[in-house]
Amino acid sequence: MIRRTMLAACVVGALALTTACTNGSTGGTGTLTYMTFETPSLNSTFWNDSIAAAVKDAPGVKINRITSPSTDRDGYAKQLQASGQFPDLLQSITPSTFAGAGLLVPYDQAWVDANFLLPQGNALKGKVYIPPTNSQIIPEVFYNKELFAKAGVEPPKTWADFLTVCEKLKAAGITPMELGGGDPFAASMPLVGILSADVLGKNPQWLQERYAGKVKFSDANVIAAVEKYRKLVTSGYFDEGALGVKYADSITQFTGGKAAMYMMGSWFLGSVPKDDADNFGAFPVPTADGSVVIPFAVGGSMAISSKTKDLDGATRFAQAWSLDPGNLKALIESDGAFPMLKGKTLDDYNVTVSQVFKDSFAYVTDKNTKVAAIGWASNDDAMPPGLNDQLYAASQALFTSADVKGEMAKLDAAWDTATK
Amino acid sequence: MRTRKSRASRDNGLFAMAAVAFGLYLCFLVLPLLLSLKSSFTDENPLRSTSGFVGLDNYGEMIHDDQLHASLGFTLILAVGVTIAANAIGIAFAMMLNRTTLSYRVMRTIAFLPQVLSGVIVGFVWQTILTQQGLLNVTLQRIGLIDSPIAWLGSPNLALLSIGVVVTWILTGFTTVVYLAALQGVPVELYDSAAIDGATTWQRFARITFPLIAPGMTISVTISLITVLKLYDVITVLTGGGPANSTRSTALYIVKLAFTDNRFGYASAVAMLVLAMSAAIALSVTSLLRRREVNF
Repeated sequence: MIRRTMLAACVVGALALTTACTNGSTGGTGTLTYMTFETPSLNSTFWNDSIAAAVKDAPGVKINRITSPSTDRDGYAKQLQASGQFPDLLQSITPSTFAGAGLLVPYDQAWVDANFLLPQGNALKGKVYIPPTNSQIIPEVFYNKELFAKAGVEPPKTWADFLTVCEKLKAAGITPMELGGGDPFAASMPLVGILSADVLGKNPQWLQERYAGKVKFSDANVIAAVEKYRKLVTSGYFDEGALGVKYADSITQFTGGKAAMYMMGSWFLGSVPKDDADNFGAFPVPTADGSVVIPFAVGGSMAISSKTKDLDGATRFAQAWSLDPGNLKALIESDGAFPMLKGKTLDDYNVTVSQVFKDSFAYVTDKNTKVAAIGWASNDDAMPPGLNDQLYAASQALFTSADVKGEMAKLDAAWDTATK
Repeated sequence: MRTRKSRASRDNGLFAMAAVAFGLYLCFLVLPLLLSLKSSFTDENPLRSTSGFVGLDNYGEMIHDDQLHASLGFTLILAVGVTIAANAIGIAFAMMLNRTTLSYRVMRTIAFLPQVLSGVIVGFVWQTILTQQGLLNVTLQRIGLIDSPIAWLGSPNLALLSIGVVVTWILTGFTTVVYLAALQGVPVELYDSAAIDGATTWQRFARITFPLIAPGMTISVTISLITVLKLYDVITVLTGGGPANSTRSTALYIVKLAFTDNRFGYASAVAMLVLAMSAAIALSVTSLLRRREVNF
C-alpha cells in the first residue's frame, strides 16, 4: 500500500514537474528567456558576451538564452508558441508574422526616434516591434572588376546598358551572371531586384495596393518586369545548369572568377575575399531610365513578447543590447549589415571593411529612391505568410518555363489564399 | 502450487510490460493522431491560442489545391519507382550474397550500411556528389563523357530521378536483408530436385525462388512504400523540394502549411489524407501480395 502511494506520488510529482517546465514563458522569477540563433560568426561566444554586456546596463535582469536549432527563427518561435513556451525576447524574427497575433509589444516611439537613423524603417502600422539597428540592400549587383576590364565594359547605369554588358561578357567567353539557383531564396535574387526596381521603383506603395486588391502580379507592368528576367535566362547570361548550383557554391564560383556579376543581398559583402576585396565592386540593379532605386530592408535586434512577466526588465535589456555598437561589429564585418544607429560613423564600431562595403553603404546613406525589397521587407510591405516561398518557386520555374503569366497568376492565387 | 504461483507472477510481469507498451502507444501515437484529427476540423493557427470549428472545409479545400495534387503526384511516382527498383535490386543482391563465407558476410554488412545512416547525412553525402560542381559531374567531365555539367538536382525530371536513385540506394540495404532472410528459408532440396529434372537457372528462380520469397516480398514492398510516402529528410537536404517545388513531397508540403503558412488545421487535414492513403495502399498491397505467398 505504501509502495503504491509512493509510486502515485512520484507520478504526480513527475507530471507536475513536466508541467512546470513546459508552461509559461519565463524560466523562473526574474529570468527572461531569450531566443537567439547561431551562425559561424554569430556564435555562442558572441551571444554570451553580448548578453553579459547588456545585462550590465540592465541591472537585475537575468537571461536564459535558448538557441533556435536552425536559422529559421520564425519557424522555431512558432513551435515554441504552439507548445506554450513563447520566449520573452526573440532575436531577428519577422515581426509582421507575430505582431498581428498580438504576441509582441511595440517599443517606446520616443526611444526609437532618439536612437535610430530610420525610426520607422521596419514599423508595422506605425509601431516598431524590432529596433531598426541595421539594414541591407537586397539585392545589389556585385561585379568582378578584372573580368569587366577583360571584356572592356564598365558598370552599367540603364537596363539597356546592362544587357549590352552581358552580351559583351558572353562574347568574351565569360559567364555574365552567377546564380545559386539550387537554393530557392538565392534563385529569386534577380527577380526580386528587377521587381523591386521596376515595379516598386515606380510605385513604392505597390505592396500596400496589392493588399488592398488594387494591383495584381498579373498586371501588365509586372509581367513586363518579369519578362526582363526571362530575357536574361533565354539570352544565356546565366549558366545553363544554375538551378543545380547551391548558394554556398555560387559564392565560391563568383569569388573564384567563374562569372562576372552576382545579384545578391548585401550580406554577400561578408564573403568578399579579404585579400582580393579591391577586385569587387557593386552597383544597383539598373532601371530603364537609369534612375537609382535601392531595394532596401531594415533589420533589427530583438522583439519583446507581450506575454512576458517582466516587461520592464525585458525592455531595459533589449534597449541596452540594441544600442551596443559592439553587437553590430560582427554583423557589419561578417554579414555586410549597414548600421543604423543615430550619430555614429563606421569608425565608432571599430570595424575593418572593404571599399565595396563603403561604396554599398553610400547607397544607404545617400539620398535616392529606397523601396521595400520585395519578399524581404519586415514592415508594412512584408508579404503574407508563405508568399516568399511562392515567389522563390516562381523564380525557379521561370528559369525553365516561359509561362510568365501562369506563374504570376499562381502568385496572385497564393496571395489571395494567404490573406482571405 | 509453486508452478501456479510462478506462472501468476510471470503473467503479472507480462501484463505490466504490456500496460507500459500500451500506455506509450496511447500517449505517443493514438493521442497525437486524435488531436491531429480534431485539428483538421478547425482553422488552428500556431500563433493564435484559440481556433474555430470549420467542419469539412479543410477537406473540401484539398480538392482544389493544385500544390497538394502536385506533391501527391510526385510522392506517388517516387514511391512506385523506388519500391520497384529497391526490391528488384534487393532480390538480385540477396541472391548474390546468399553465401556463408566471411567475404560475403562482410559484403552483407556493407550492403546494409545505407539503411543505418541518418537520412540527413545521406542527403549531404549525395549532395556533394550531385551538385553542379559535384563528384559525378567532375568525374564524367574528366573521362570525357560530358562537356558541361549536368544539373542533376536543377531540373525537375533529373531531380526526381536523382532523388529516386538516392532513396533506392538507402532502401536497397533493407530490401537485401529481408530477401536474404527469405532466401535462407527456401529448402535446398527443391533446388536439388530441380537440378535433377534439368531446370535452368531462370526456371529455378521463376518456379522456386520467386514464389518462396513471397512473404519477404510482402514485407519489403509494404515497408518500402510506406517509407517513401512519408519521406522528408533526404529531400529537404538534397533539393529542399525544388526546383520550383517540383520535388516537394507531401510531408514537405505539410510542414510548409503548418510552419510557414501558419495553417495547422489545414496541414492536419492533409496529414489525415496521407495517413488514410498510406493505410489504404499498404492494406491493398499486403492483401494482393499475400495471395501469391506459398507455404511449404
